[in-house]
Amino acid sequence: MNVLIVEDEKTLAFELEAFLKKGFYLCDLAHTGRKALEMLDLNLYDFILLDLGLPDTDGLILLEEAKKLNPDAAYIILTARGNIEDRIKGLDLGADDYLPKPFSLPELQSRMQAISRRKFGIKNESIPIGEFKIDLQNRTLLKGETGVDLTRKEFDLLSYLLLHKNRVLTRMQLSEHIWGSFTEEDSDSNYIDVHIKNIRKKMGNYASVDWLETVRGVGYKIKKPV
Amino acid sequence: MKLLTKLTLFITSSKLVIVLLFVLSLPFLVERIASEFTNNYLRQQQQKVKEVIKRNGIDFYLEGSESYGSYTLLKEEYIALEARDADFSIDTIETAERIVESDTLNYRVLMHTFNTGNKHYLLEIGKSTATISQYNKPLQRIASYVLIGLIIFSLVADLVFTRFLLLPLGQIIRGKLLNRKFPFRDNISPVKTSTSDFKYLDNSLILLMDQIHDAFEKEREFTANASHELMTPISILQNKIENLLDDSTADELLQQRLVELQRTLNRLKKIVRSLLLISRIENEQFSRSESCNVKELFVSVMEEITHRMEERKISLQLDLSAETQLQNINRDLIFQLIYNLINNAIRYNKDEGSIRVSEVKKAGKSYELIIEDSGIGISEKDLPSIFNRFRKASPAEGAGYGLGLSIVKSIADYHQIQIFTYSELGEKTRFTLVFPEQIVGSLNKA
Repeated sequence: MNVLIVEDEKTLAFELEAFLKKGFYLCDLAHTGRKALEMLDLNLYDFILLDLGLPDTDGLILLEEAKKLNPDAAYIILTARGNIEDRIKGLDLGADDYLPKPFSLPELQSRMQAISRRKFGIKNESIPIGEFKIDLQNRTLLKGETGVDLTRKEFDLLSYLLLHKNRVLTRMQLSEHIWGSFTEEDSDSNYIDVHIKNIRKKMGNYASVDWLETVRGVGYKIKKPV
Repeated sequence: MKLLTKLTLFITSSKLVIVLLFVLSLPFLVERIASEFTNNYLRQQQQKVKEVIKRNGIDFYLEGSESYGSYTLLKEEYIALEARDADFSIDTIETAERIVESDTLNYRVLMHTFNTGNKHYLLEIGKSTATISQYNKPLQRIASYVLIGLIIFSLVADLVFTRFLLLPLGQIIRGKLLNRKFPFRDNISPVKTSTSDFKYLDNSLILLMDQIHDAFEKEREFTANASHELMTPISILQNKIENLLDDSTADELLQQRLVELQRTLNRLKKIVRSLLLISRIENEQFSRSESCNVKELFVSVMEEITHRMEERKISLQLDLSAETQLQNINRDLIFQLIYNLINNAIRYNKDEGSIRVSEVKKAGKSYELIIEDSGIGISEKDLPSIFNRFRKASPAEGAGYGLGLSIVKSIADYHQIQIFTYSELGEKTRFTLVFPEQIVGSLNKA
């Protein structure tokens, strides 16, 4: 998939590119609005990651322009401005998602995957995990035909891990995904363990293999099938 | 008591005292005046008689006899002249009884001895006391009426003028103090008055509020800018750490250290995010046009937070009716408010403690939400400052950067929800939220 990263903060753009490359995305970078329009004129992209705070253009105006040049792309707004009006305006102008900075890279990628499923009709909805199958469409975990009863948070956690199955996710990344950006002070990260324990217990009722792997001092990942 | 009331009371009562004193002393005064006047009159009469005698000789009256007497038709006045021994001497005015043609009457009598033609005479001039006091009553009445009239007039004039005089003060109090909501966003015009004291007061207040407003604006601007400027570098750091984590799967130790780094950064992120949220609320960047069901809201908060309660075996009791609806609110903010309060009730609770959420509806008007925990409580000393930024309930508590309650306060202020806090150290803490009518709406009147 082709991604255009429109971000004036070069270091950040580079980090985004480095991360997305690992997910087999092909990335182009534009640090100004003008450059972005040039590139949009030349290429077709599947994703356009758009920072609103550009030095030369208002990101929202750029969004309108870009939509004309590349109407089929998925647009994700990334901004540190993060006020509500921008968000509403952005979505009104046809952005597909909105991520306030700072965001977690796996979070960005899973949003992109969600958009892919939705927008590009990639119906890779049923992902296997050992003898289990996870159905993203109906939000269920299946063992054969039997559904494993997971809570909403447990399902979110499991599917997030599954979507990043080659990667260790830290408690911080996991908690940010399932609890969002609640502005409380104490970290939720330890509560992740409680959820993981519950998921293990529930899956353990159906299978002997523990598909959730604890990476000591770091976080969790989905075990590689042997 | 208001100044105007005080002045009115004082003016009225002082005038009443004057009236009372005057009415009480009036009879004495009138009598005194009448008596002075009579004395004077009698002396004048005496002078006339003596002038007549001087001009015409004593015989003009006596006509050869030893004595002379004459009285007016109704015996109101009389005059008597008689010879006396030379050693009898008198010159007084007194009230005495005299018998005139077998009628005993009271007179004011002037007695005066004098010599003329080598003889000694006593002159008596009398005026009946009845005639003296005959004007007293009507005089008193008229005087009283006039006085009361004047007093009423002056009272009305005083009160009207006082009211007029104090009008600007009332305007200052109402316009500048009572009805103004921090942070004094609206510009307010000075009160029109010619009283320099009020002008001074008014100007000082305006100046003061402008200063507060400016300081407040600066702080707000700073918070907003600083938070925004901080978010970008945090963003870079966070994503760098994440990439490093991905790239360093082989090095376990490095990964663990990166996770530490991530945790620290996360703390920073949450603080900045909280500050940004507060400043956005204070900038009124949130719409207040949504509505929500109180019970549903609590249930969704519970969904996010149950794991924390389970962890510490804290029980929660929700005594809420299903139908209470809030309107003209921002749902996300109210959610955050409830979330923070419940989160606090968990964090500062004891293990196996309890939380109780209840409501009080009052006559379709106010609506109160009460969140009470069986926690460690807040000391009386700390209670006033719990809503301040970066203040912990107890410095001994490790966790917390004290922004949770600041956010609660900002959100409550933004929705004009009043918060009352009650706490018993080591026993409980109770937060009472009082929702204004425009939020509770008509649904609760049913």
